[in-house]
Amino acid sequence: MDPELIGDCVHCGFCLPTCPTYVLWGEEMDSPRGRIHLMGQHVGGTPLTPEMAGHFDACLGCMACVTACPSGVRYDRLIEQTRAEVERAHRRPLQERALRALVFRLFPYPRRLRAMRLPLRLTEGARRRLAPRLERISPSLAAMAELAPPVPARVRLPRRVRAVGRRRATVGMLTGCVQGAFFPQVNAATARVLAMEGCEVVIPPAQGCCGALSLHSGLPEQAVRLAERTLATFERAGVDTVVVNAAGCGSTMKEYGDLLGEDRAQNIRVVDLSEYLAEIGPVATRHPLPVTVAYHDACHLAHAQGIRAQPRALLSAVPGLRLVEIAESSICCGSAGTYNLLQPEAARDLGDRKAERVLATGADLLVSANPGCTLQIGSAVRRRGAGPIPVAHVAQVLDASLRGLDRAW
Amino acid sequence: MPDTALDEPVRRFLEILGPGSVITDPVRLRTYECDGLTHHRTSPGVVVLPETAEQVAAIVRVCARHGVPFVARGAGTGLSGGALPRTDGVLVVTSRMRRILSIDLPNRLAVVEPGVTNLAITEAVREQGYYYAPDPSSQQVCSIGGNVAENSGGAHCLKYGFTVNHVLALEIVTPDGDLVELSHTDPGYDLLGAFVGSEGTLGITTKVTVRLTRAPQAVTTLLAAFDDVESGGRAVSAIIGGGILPAAIEMMDALAIEAAEAAVACSYPEGAGAVLIVELDGPSPEVAHQFAEVRRICEENGAFELRVAADPAERAAVWKGRKSAFAAVGRISPAYIVQDGVVPRTALPEVLADIERISGEHGIRVANVFHAGDGNLHPLVLFDDDEPGAAERAELVSGRILDLCVEHGGSITGEHGVGIDKSRYMTKMFSEDDLATMQLVRCAFDPEGLSNPGKVFPTPRLCGEAPGVRRGAHPLVESGQAEQF
Amino acid sequence: METPFEALRGTGVPVEPAAPGDAPRWVAYPGTTAEVAALMRVSAEHDLAVVPSGAGTKLAWGNPPERCDLLLRTGRLTSLEHSPGDLVVRVSAGLPVGTLASFPGVAQELALDDPLGAGTVGGTLATAVAGPRRFRYGTARDLLIGVTVVLADGTVATSGGRVVKNVAGYDLGKLLCGSYGTLGVVTEAVFRLHPVAPERRWITVEPDSLAALDGLVAALAASQAEPSAVEVDWPGTGSAPVVAALVEGTAAGERAAAVRELAGGHPARVRDEAPGWWNTLPGDPGGVLCELRLPPAEVGRTLREVTACGPVRVRGSAASGVLWAAPPPDVLPAFVSAVRDRLGGRLVVLAAPYDAIEGIDRWGPVGALPLMRRVKERFDPDRRLSPGRFAGGI
Ligand SMILES: Cc1cc2nc3c(=O)[nH]c(=O)nc-3n(C[C@H](O)[C@H](O)[C@H](O)COP(=O)(O)OP(=O)(O)OC[C@H]3O[C@@H](n4cnc5c(N)ncnc54)[C@H](O)[C@@H]3O)c2cc1C
Ligand code: SF4
Ligand code: SF4
Repeated sequence: MDPELIGDCVHCGFCLPTCPTYVLWGEEMDSPRGRIHLMGQHVGGTPLTPEMAGHFDACLGCMACVTACPSGVRYDRLIEQTRAEVERAHRRPLQERALRALVFRLFPYPRRLRAMRLPLRLTEGARRRLAPRLERISPSLAAMAELAPPVPARVRLPRRVRAVGRRRATVGMLTGCVQGAFFPQVNAATARVLAMEGCEVVIPPAQGCCGALSLHSGLPEQAVRLAERTLATFERAGVDTVVVNAAGCGSTMKEYGDLLGEDRAQNIRVVDLSEYLAEIGPVATRHPLPVTVAYHDACHLAHAQGIRAQPRALLSAVPGLRLVEIAESSICCGSAGTYNLLQPEAARDLGDRKAERVLATGADLLVSANPGCTLQIGSAVRRRGAGPIPVAHVAQVLDASLRGLDRAW
Repeated sequence: MPDTALDEPVRRFLEILGPGSVITDPVRLRTYECDGLTHHRTSPGVVVLPETAEQVAAIVRVCARHGVPFVARGAGTGLSGGALPRTDGVLVVTSRMRRILSIDLPNRLAVVEPGVTNLAITEAVREQGYYYAPDPSSQQVCSIGGNVAENSGGAHCLKYGFTVNHVLALEIVTPDGDLVELSHTDPGYDLLGAFVGSEGTLGITTKVTVRLTRAPQAVTTLLAAFDDVESGGRAVSAIIGGGILPAAIEMMDALAIEAAEAAVACSYPEGAGAVLIVELDGPSPEVAHQFAEVRRICEENGAFELRVAADPAERAAVWKGRKSAFAAVGRISPAYIVQDGVVPRTALPEVLADIERISGEHGIRVANVFHAGDGNLHPLVLFDDDEPGAAERAELVSGRILDLCVEHGGSITGEHGVGIDKSRYMTKMFSEDDLATMQLVRCAFDPEGLSNPGKVFPTPRLCGEAPGVRRGAHPLVESGQAEQF
Repeated sequence: METPFEALRGTGVPVEPAAPGDAPRWVAYPGTTAEVAALMRVSAEHDLAVVPSGAGTKLAWGNPPERCDLLLRTGRLTSLEHSPGDLVVRVSAGLPVGTLASFPGVAQELALDDPLGAGTVGGTLATAVAGPRRFRYGTARDLLIGVTVVLADGTVATSGGRVVKNVAGYDLGKLLCGSYGTLGVVTEAVFRLHPVAPERRWITVEPDSLAALDGLVAALAASQAEPSAVEVDWPGTGSAPVVAALVEGTAAGERAAAVRELAGGHPARVRDEAPGWWNTLPGDPGGVLCELRLPPAEVGRTLREVTACGPVRVRGSAASGVLWAAPPPDVLPAFVSAVRDRLGGRLVVLAAPYDAIEGIDRWGPVGALPLMRRVKERFDPDRRLSPGRFAGGI
């Protein structure tokens, strides 16, 4: 943990109200300011106690605090370093270790994840019967089961999708582990939208995890390996721009420079889908979609990449579409990568809080740019017993509008 | 070091609150060791996180019974060390008391718990066309309980006044543990007014009734760039002298602008030696008229660029630099002291020149951000804490600035409070008799001196004696634990 | 052994024996804070009860003091120091508030209306009275930024200062607001001033019944034309109320027209002059005067409810929920109980003939009374300052 970075914090507290764990528990130790203070204590010689580690583990890594901080504190770096330190210095209880091992062996590997999908996926009825028991045995497994979305039909994406009309650019596309496994239809929509906007889309078939999950969980070595592999894949595919539709992946890939060295990372430019679409401007015709949409800011898009305006602008530009804001939009939904698996209670409370505010908007459709958020909010809405609110990715909404479909979600 | 005198109180707190709301782990306790003023640090003996007024009262009663000092804390953004805990005491944190209890628009008021943030009140009524007027720069985080304790102001208090002008009633827990309501409708002594700004030394606020203000019909914000602070200052005097009472007049000097640029890229006019932010609000015809006046005055006094923010987004952009200024100096200096002093507005030019001189003499840079309309200076004294002696020199410069304020008939604090930090300056502003008289109020509320002891007043004082009549030394004085003045 | 009179005379302050049969034995006319302090020290030594008094406009308010040896008249405390550039004035307690309504050469004023006309600064602070513009500018406590007070033992204390923004130490000035001379003798006050509005307009609206009052007042108070005052005058049972709003500042005419639009069909007029009853108290001098505190949205309902009591003239700041009421003495008991018990409002009987107040709790319940009593005990442990004038024997 870099004492210089810790020293940048002037203890003003501006980050407190945006921190989801502070919002939940109202405790200094579970606020960004408190966590930085704990880091300072550790750097100053206090051994890493289980209590300390607990407060670091409870951090969602949502980076809302980075956005809020007027002093430019690099909490993102700090928590990364801290997580690595926690993994190194802190011995977790056996059960917790086993769960973490499972998650980290599973998630970064799309094929393993796909294999796990079926057993996790329970029918609605079985879920309701099983949930309380599962909850008792392992809240984390219960969270996994609850989150698992319906098994989608496998979508096979071509290696290359031709531009519709005049070709304006050639871009690579990241399929992502969770996105690829649980939301292949989002990837299909992304490819179509890019193509309709005049891009030739290159989709290397042998893509792995970008390294985000490992990086955010204190496993930098695994992250470096995965990042290296991802870069190499796209370089081989001959693209210099990679469009990413999953916020978490995008924010990690934009930081490959820090992870692998600026030289290594400079050949590939990483952009978020909505950022890219806003940049190149529309050419395809938008057909009307008469829906009210609540847009949810995924933390890794809004806070980590500063992308808030572009998706809203893209959505608002669809004729007939009414965009409404969700109260407390800057507060995390509790998904945050693997958080809902590792800190199920907190994740659930945050999910409930978010679901309440989403439902309060009265929107017909919830749109977000991150698969984790979609899973999380969707299951929180189900838990509340409210009729399920349809969820979609920005790409799907645009896809529907460009193709003149009624709906695609 | 665990204080065994706290063992029994802690057991009682656990009964009152349950284990999730009583913190005794030393590592956790230390995260509460300071507020926004980080050079005073003390780990609390125990932290409690009550959720109701009754729990606060029960906690305070335990403290009273055991003679244990207690300190209230809201969001911990105070800049005078007011919420500095005590190792032998209890820190009562209101961060879980954050419900808005009721909103009554026909009577233009809201009732909230003390941990509710200042901004949350405005957000709750904004759509209905109302807001809560006092707006400290820390408004998104600071608690209303903290605002009441500090009588916080903000950029707009030039026209709208401070917390004390907008609080209609308080529910407090007195230092002996009683729940009492202080209301603006009470006949007799204005205890409500005396409690506001008492920095937690008269008890703990558990409920606040605030006045809601109707949103103005029109708001115009003007950013004017000047070559130097003097010409900006002349413009301020001319505006006020011209019978205009803007909602806010804020000034930043070149160094403060540099910091804000570095932090939030506010793109203020290049080459400005000072910028003035003038905000006018009120009925449209009045605002239009005043705007023309202000514009003319700024131009006459040498403004080389004027920008007008017409919509909320542009206005936010203009304010962004100003509101982030304190925290932003972190970008241009490793360490800094935020000073808060007040001078009569007419003394501003002289005092600013003196500050510049003192800054030069000691080789310590000072960035100036201030509420120019009411003479409230916020000099940011910059130094490098790795450089030997720099901190001491900065401290010296900072203290000299306060001397200047007092010499010019001003105050040692306009909004951040006395806390632990400035208690030693109180004797510069007040005579012994003044302080003794204030102490009478303290003794009336808190004869045992348990509520935030050691803050505001320079030396611990004793409540046993009748005023003026001193009969030999108090045992505490004899034993050297306290001083009488 | 020196007599109290000799000792008082020894201070050099003009002191006279009071008229035979009067409650005080002596009357003193100090001209400086130091002289007040000297008198208070002598009074402490000789255990004299002291009652400070300004122009005497409100001497009949509150309970009569239990004891009064020395009446301390502030009429010679008349210094004034105006700092126009800082919009601040420092005044002695004996000056009438009215003298601060204008200053030579600059358009500045103390934005505090005095419904009694001749009240002094000291008396206005001690009784916390204010007039119509309290709605916009608050009352004396909101405009007061510094105070000098002499305590019962002669200690001179100052709090606040000469700058508007100041949070150093406790605000003793606030504490003294409403203290009825029971905590100390205010000798000097510093006020913030406001620019005098270049134009003023009054909008009067005559709703046909009390039923329309609450909606009307709420609409006027919430108007973005920002009236400085919204007052009501109700001559009593059987008559309709008149509502008047004041708009001050530039473009007052245009704004007044906007306010008139809110009259909701009731007859409404814009005028250059205040209505005759503006900023005056209802009832006769020497009669009953009450102060009512109500939620502003309940003023109309309250007036409707009290009609049953008998003829009560009511006037005051509807939008602030502070009203003056002047019931005839025989109606007072019914009126007090209607307001307090049935309507849950606050009512203080400020002034009333002795026989009319018999058996009535003048102040009503005050939750903070125990704390006030503790403050009094600290400031005046021997109960020598206006003893018994305020609630609970304070
Ligand atoms: C970047 C920054 C900008 C700021 N800008 C402004 C500004 O523009 N204007 C301004 O006035 N201030 C400003 N402040 C100072 C600070 O935000 C205010 O003083 C604020 O009111 C403190 O609120 P808090 O909840 O953080 O209180 P804390 O810091 O927790 O406590 C402050 C004091 O209040 C007492 N207290 C807290 N809660 C209670 C309670 N319930 N009952 C009794 N006592 C209590 C504490 O004991 C302590 O003495 C700024 C601070 C920062 C860091
Ligand atoms: S990353 Fe999110 S959860 Fe973690 S400290 Fe920052 S705001 Fe809180
Ligand atoms: S906002 Fe930044 S400087 Fe302020 S407490 Fe949070 S991390 Fe520290």
